[in-house]
Amino acid sequence: MMADMSDEKTGPDLTVDIAGVPLANPLMTASGTCGYAQEYADFVDLKQLGAFVTKSITLRPRRGNDYPRVVETRAGMLNAIGLANVGLDIFLEEKIPQLRSLALPVFVNIAGTTIADYVAVAEALDEVDVVRGVELNISCPNVKEGGIQFGVDPRQIENITSAVRKACRNNKLIVKLSPNVSDIAVSARAAVEWGAEALSLINTFTAMAIDPETRRAVLSNGTGGLSGPAIRPIAVYMVRRVYTEVARDADVPIIAMGGIQFARDALEFLLAGATGLAVGTSLFVDPACLVKIRDGIGEYLARHGLSRVQDIIGAMED
Amino acid sequence: MARMCGNSDTARLRGAFIAEVLANEPLCRDHWRMVLTLPQFPTTRAGQFVNLQCRPLDDLLGARQVDWPAGGTPRFTQPELTDRETMLRRPFSLAGRRDCDGKVELDVIYRTVGVGTHWMSELKPASSISILGPLGNGFRILPGKPSAVLVGGGVGIPPMLYLAEALTAGGKNIAAFLGARSAELFPLHLLTGGHVSPEGSPAECVAELAEWSVPTAVATDDGSLGFTGLVSEPFERWLDAGKLGADDVVVYSCGPEPMMQAVGDICIERGIECFLAMERHMACGMGTCQSCIVKIRDDSEQGWSFKLCCTDGPVFSAGDVIW
Ligand SMILES: Cc1cc2nc3c(=O)[nH]c(=O)nc-3n(C[C@H](O)[C@H](O)[C@H](O)COP(=O)(O)OP(=O)(O)OC[C@H]3O[C@@H](n4cnc5c(N)ncnc54)[C@H](O)[C@@H]3O)c2cc1C
Ligand SMILES: Cc1cc2nc3c(=O)[nH]c(=O)nc-3n(C[C@H](O)[C@H](O)[C@H](O)COP(=O)(O)O)c2cc1C
Ligand code: FES
Repeated sequence: MMADMSDEKTGPDLTVDIAGVPLANPLMTASGTCGYAQEYADFVDLKQLGAFVTKSITLRPRRGNDYPRVVETRAGMLNAIGLANVGLDIFLEEKIPQLRSLALPVFVNIAGTTIADYVAVAEALDEVDVVRGVELNISCPNVKEGGIQFGVDPRQIENITSAVRKACRNNKLIVKLSPNVSDIAVSARAAVEWGAEALSLINTFTAMAIDPETRRAVLSNGTGGLSGPAIRPIAVYMVRRVYTEVARDADVPIIAMGGIQFARDALEFLLAGATGLAVGTSLFVDPACLVKIRDGIGEYLARHGLSRVQDIIGAMED
Repeated sequence: MARMCGNSDTARLRGAFIAEVLANEPLCRDHWRMVLTLPQFPTTRAGQFVNLQCRPLDDLLGARQVDWPAGGTPRFTQPELTDRETMLRRPFSLAGRRDCDGKVELDVIYRTVGVGTHWMSELKPASSISILGPLGNGFRILPGKPSAVLVGGGVGIPPMLYLAEALTAGGKNIAAFLGARSAELFPLHLLTGGHVSPEGSPAECVAELAEWSVPTAVATDDGSLGFTGLVSEPFERWLDAGKLGADDVVVYSCGPEPMMQAVGDICIERGIECFLAMERHMACGMGTCQSCIVKIRDDSEQGWSFKLCCTDGPVFSAGDVIW
């Protein structure tokens, strides 16, 4: 299956490998921007993707924060959803069958307030056939406890990564890093050392919008996470830094995200060192952008006489 | 105006479509009517909305421009530095639809309030715009109820036009109550020779609703047109003066929240079924971002849960909404 498919009929070979999970192409959904897949059924043929990444799942259902939860800012948006999700039980019962029908590798993003919560969710997911990996969300800026507290201190990253690693006997462990640190390579190193088999970066930046008329924060939560095109140049830099400092030598693939809208954005991340590409905020504008990005990468490779996407991973000129 | 003259293709699946601007004309201060045409669009219902992309099409932004001529200057900034670009789409209720000569025409009536709507108001006929939809659940038309009352305020008026058409097709008796801040912010045309009652009694006076023979009452905050005050007042009086039984009538409302809350309460007190089209700040419109929450009563432990305005709504039963 993974043989060279770069003949003229099929175009360049877009296949990549995330920690031993083969993907038809690097494109995937970013957690929290694609529901549990069914929502987009009319809008994009998700079967065209490489993998599907779910909204964060917690042990118990979460209602999330009060309204308002989002605000658009220049070239981006803030969100403070507060990890609203159906909880593990309903996820297993109702959402897994839907995900199974996609016939794609599924990575389930997991979150919690205690390490025991994360471990319990990871345990339950380990036996589910369509789930090929868990993405550890230690970087959500929008909940009071849990989430980001685990992601900004290397010792906490060690504790949680090593604990969840033990619960992942079948599933691959992907650790999703927070950009809200002074050096993201330090976080990456801790995660890889304690068992991360792939790294996702970046989650949103903690940010704030204030309404001068009311003198109050716009979001009910006060702060929110900044995503979208505004963060892309920082994300590209962080991917490059993690790739050169940690991932390349450790042979750990990076799933990159942060403001990808168009194929040219995706190419920046590939050249910086990403193996997988996740699209979040841009899905809100048009879920079908995933397919356009995939095709645009193929066109770029063809135009440059390249036969495999893998050949441009990390291949920027220094 | 014939609404259906020959079948147009109906797109099977919802999605993002490129539409052409057929007309984009001012209606009154700050209000515009845009008519979009496209070869096909899925079936729609009154109360549903569409998400418009208030910026040039992606292809114009160099979406696919991933290469540059050898030796030339890379056009890095092209996709980044577009003037007054909004990133997220903007939601608008459908104000009408015509399927004609293998084409679909969709009406949107909008008020210029910010970056996106100002961008829209500068679109010239024959330009292109990306439209995503149709979105949301739409108004339910109840077969058992022969009468319907429409109560619309401000930018809640547009969906009432589409609904009036659908209800007329369903053979209902309809009356409409419309509110605006002032006459210059009332986005519909008055019939020449029509009489807008200062008491707020419905009469055929608004052209867009007279087309469906719908008698209409108008209220303005400053009294510059029709009744002086909130539209819920003449609505309540008319309801009590009339002989409509709660079993016969259903009320549909869209507009500012205080207005919908008042209309909802009036109906609940009288046991009248009432549907409200709610408005929320939305990022996606497709049920994925979880941003557009409305507090809805249910039989869970705490007695309510968050529902999504974009997919569970925007139309909710008045009795279910917790304000
Ligand atoms: C289901 C639905 C149907 C609507 N139908 C109509 C209609 O038929 N005609 C009409 O004129 N307006 C309608 N609106 C309101 C319309 O979406 C806003 O006026 C518009 O988004 C403003 O965009 P802007 O860029 O000009 O303003 P800005 O203030 O610059 O927008 C900033 C952000 O706030 C959001 N926003 C601002 N005002 C509103 C609002 N009232 N409701 C929801 N989001 C808002 C925008 O979408 C954007 O994300 C509807 C809203 C919803 C939710
Ligand atoms: C509305 C919204 C909800 C999100 N929810 C989650 C979540 O539940 N878990 C998570 O790990 N990341 C979540 N994210 C972060 C995205 O997965 C992604 O890391 C980030 O938005 C950057 O990518 P983008 O710029 O393409 O959106 C969310 C982002 C948005 C905009
Ligand atoms: S707008 Fe995204 S869930 Fe409703």
